[in-house]
Amino acid sequence: MTTATATIPHGVHHHGPEKGLMRWIKTTNHKDIGSLYMWFAFAMLLIGGALAMGIRAELLQPGMQLMEPQFFNQLTTMHGLIMVFGAIMPAFVGLGNWLIPMMIGAPDMALPRMNNWSFWILPFAGGILLSTFFMEGGAPAFGWTFYAPLSTTFAPDSTDFFIFAVHLLGFSSIMGAINIIATVLNMRAPEMKLMDMPLFVWTWLITSFLLIGAMPVLAGVVTMMLTDRNFGTAFFDATGGGDPVMFQHIFWFFGHPEVYIMILPAFGITSHIIPTFARKPLFGYSSMVYATASIAFLSYIVWAHHMFLTGMPVAGGLYFMYATMLIAVPTGVKVFNWVATMWRGSMTFEAPMLWTLSFVFLFTIGGFSGLMLGIAPADIQYHDTYFVVAHFHYVLVTGALWAIIAATLYWLPKWTGKMYNESLAKIHFWWAVISVNILFFPQHFLGLAGMPRRIPDYSLQFADFNLISSIGGFAFGASFFLLTYIVVDCIRNGKPVSARPWKGAKGLEWTLDAKAPYHSFNTPPSRALIEAESQHSA
Amino acid sequence: MAEFFIIIVIITILVALGFGLIGMLKGGRRGSDRMFKSLVARISLSVFLFLLVMFAAYMGWIEPNPVVFSTSTQK
Amino acid sequence: MSEQKYYVPDGTYWPIIGSIGVTILFVGFANQMHGVSWGASAMVLGFAIVIFMLFGWLGQVVNESVNGIYNSQVDRSFRWGMSWFIFSEVMFFAAFFGALFYARQISVPWLSGEGNNLYTPELWDGFKATWQQIAFSTPGTTLKSGVEMSIPTQLVDTWGLPALNTALLLLSGVTLTFAHHALRAERRNQVISWLVATIVLGVAFLGFQVAEYGHAYADGLQLTSGIYGSTFYMLTGFHGFHVTIGAIMLSVILYRVQKGHFSADSHFGFEGVAWYWHFVDVVWLGLFVFVYWL
Repeated sequence: MTTATATIPHGVHHHGPEKGLMRWIKTTNHKDIGSLYMWFAFAMLLIGGALAMGIRAELLQPGMQLMEPQFFNQLTTMHGLIMVFGAIMPAFVGLGNWLIPMMIGAPDMALPRMNNWSFWILPFAGGILLSTFFMEGGAPAFGWTFYAPLSTTFAPDSTDFFIFAVHLLGFSSIMGAINIIATVLNMRAPEMKLMDMPLFVWTWLITSFLLIGAMPVLAGVVTMMLTDRNFGTAFFDATGGGDPVMFQHIFWFFGHPEVYIMILPAFGITSHIIPTFARKPLFGYSSMVYATASIAFLSYIVWAHHMFLTGMPVAGGLYFMYATMLIAVPTGVKVFNWVATMWRGSMTFEAPMLWTLSFVFLFTIGGFSGLMLGIAPADIQYHDTYFVVAHFHYVLVTGALWAIIAATLYWLPKWTGKMYNESLAKIHFWWAVISVNILFFPQHFLGLAGMPRRIPDYSLQFADFNLISSIGGFAFGASFFLLTYIVVDCIRNGKPVSARPWKGAKGLEWTLDAKAPYHSFNTPPSRALIEAESQHSA
Repeated sequence: MAEFFIIIVIITILVALGFGLIGMLKGGRRGSDRMFKSLVARISLSVFLFLLVMFAAYMGWIEPNPVVFSTSTQK
Repeated sequence: MSEQKYYVPDGTYWPIIGSIGVTILFVGFANQMHGVSWGASAMVLGFAIVIFMLFGWLGQVVNESVNGIYNSQVDRSFRWGMSWFIFSEVMFFAAFFGALFYARQISVPWLSGEGNNLYTPELWDGFKATWQQIAFSTPGTTLKSGVEMSIPTQLVDTWGLPALNTALLLLSGVTLTFAHHALRAERRNQVISWLVATIVLGVAFLGFQVAEYGHAYADGLQLTSGIYGSTFYMLTGFHGFHVTIGAIMLSVILYRVQKGHFSADSHFGFEGVAWYWHFVDVVWLGLFVFVYWL
């Protein structure tokens, strides 16, 4: 029964990976699990992207060309769900798995078996979610926010499978978050103080608190949906004294922290890459930590700014508007610090830096359009238009996804011991950054002109911008083939690198071998090493 | 008034429970002591609350689910 | 320097078994609700696999712990893990309490015309917004899900079974505290008797809860009795589910105490389960006060 090994002796590389498929199923290794997460997220990104191509193809011209409106709604719904729960969140958990133990001088995650489970739930949950496409009545078609009563009274049978998939994804996220908290707070090198931790670790720690606070609420709200649909409860049914508006309140109590779950780790990544390529220590390390914590706190008390049009007392609207404006302050602190880090730095522009710089610029655009949407009276005009679509794609695609790609390129040499093809990566960057703006920037104009979101057909005056947007969309979609090639080519044929391929890079992970060993740190790093590698040392 | 007091006691119980959790988290002899003391406080408060609710109900200060919302002007 | 030796467990099959188990359980559940014949059997199978996984996995952990493979760092990781797991449970219950407060304070008053909102008597003749009695005032109504609302014939009794049950559960908290004290003083026989008392009280609570459900159902208070019935059954139901889990965990702890596990200084398994029981106890107190009384 006791299959466990004894403790690892000092400085000895203990058992390597097993062989074959069983390695991946049984693994308790943070690097294996991190890779599994990343590949799963990438597969889901491609599937979700394919759905988006379907959406843009239908919107290429006014009129109905390719599909039934119901199927269009299924595409928008599943695109959102897959991207949020299948691509962005698992990708960040994967990065956290790979990087956090290396960054805090630990051998592995704190609860490795649970770590395995939090990954291995995902393929099953994803499978259940995708299988709804093949069910009678089709996949869920009520938008990724699944507002009642669309998702209760008027939804297809497959909604029950969707609910269980959300439950499973929630389990996975909660277990992942618990693991990261335990790792950061308990496995950290004894000599490393909290304020020595790199910002990616800090942002993930705070994100974990958001996950543990928000995901159970999501589980609660889908459970209420489930009983409303199947057991005759009346949570969201005014006939029985319930209220569909209550659904929105509970959903957005989860939903707003959720958007910060998807962006805080990106802030952390950015705070690593900019100092490296500006060759300066990060400006304002502690203010970054406090800003992250304030954003996380505020994220719990602003949820109803998604509901200005749903209706609420005027005092409520005012409160939620001002609280929302408040988030701009810590976010502004962050952007200021990134720019100040670059100020008079000796900057170079390798691919990870290009992605990060465009992240700062484009995310700020998304942040400002968010401020516009947060103004209650203005939101009456923008609500549920393409302006909203443009806003959240700027923060999620050119924000979260950009940071994930930047991080992948930045740490790929450490993961594989090999360097990717820099010129191809630069071509890919310019291809993606131009096409993504062609894709999403015109959607601002569409929204301001009044084109509603989630519709398969539109009136003629929107035709030109939609055409441009769709062309940009196809170009952006195609860029991912190049990204796949760059990553696979790096793993297969990349040139071997030294342990610290980026000259200005700081952090404990760069003190490990060129290709990080299977167990990161068998002995904790010394105080001198931690200080030398910390983000606030010159 | 009685309701207000009852809610205050519930919040205090939650705080005691929270301190117990922190004690458990710390571990070791001291954490264990802290956890045990907090849990003793929490169970004592809970018994007090139960007696309070029963007494308040007996005295008629609170009624089970009393709310009948006033209907506004008839049209 | 013993702290500096890290522990990383070997590979494990339990997670994949668990994933397969919960998937079969949920897919079976969904099919059962859609009236598919094999749904129920799949549910049972999935549930059995999950139980098998839990006992296997935790059993392995207990074995490793008893054999002294873990160090104090692993112990602390477990403490962190358990604490934040419980916090996630708190947030899960918070969602349902939030629904209760929202319906109570906002949606039902709104339905009665408060705050210049919709004036409902125009929709349902003679509608009067009341809290527990919401179904009384909307007679003969069919919910949007097509289910006819069940009309309770009387209010939930607060003095009888619920008060008794509260007393039972609080008493179980007291006996558990005695067990805890005895364990810290290394008086094993007392630990065992107090634990037995706790479990018996917990099971008695569950029994009375079932009886209470029977009464309420017979009186017409059902899941389909509008928002009060919904929140009442969902909150008490999830609570009962947690009491069941807690009682099972206490039984495992009892078994381990008999086997001579735990010492006065090191008994995290006991502490975790004890805290869980106290938490479930507090949730019930909240239920008793907010669902039955205030």
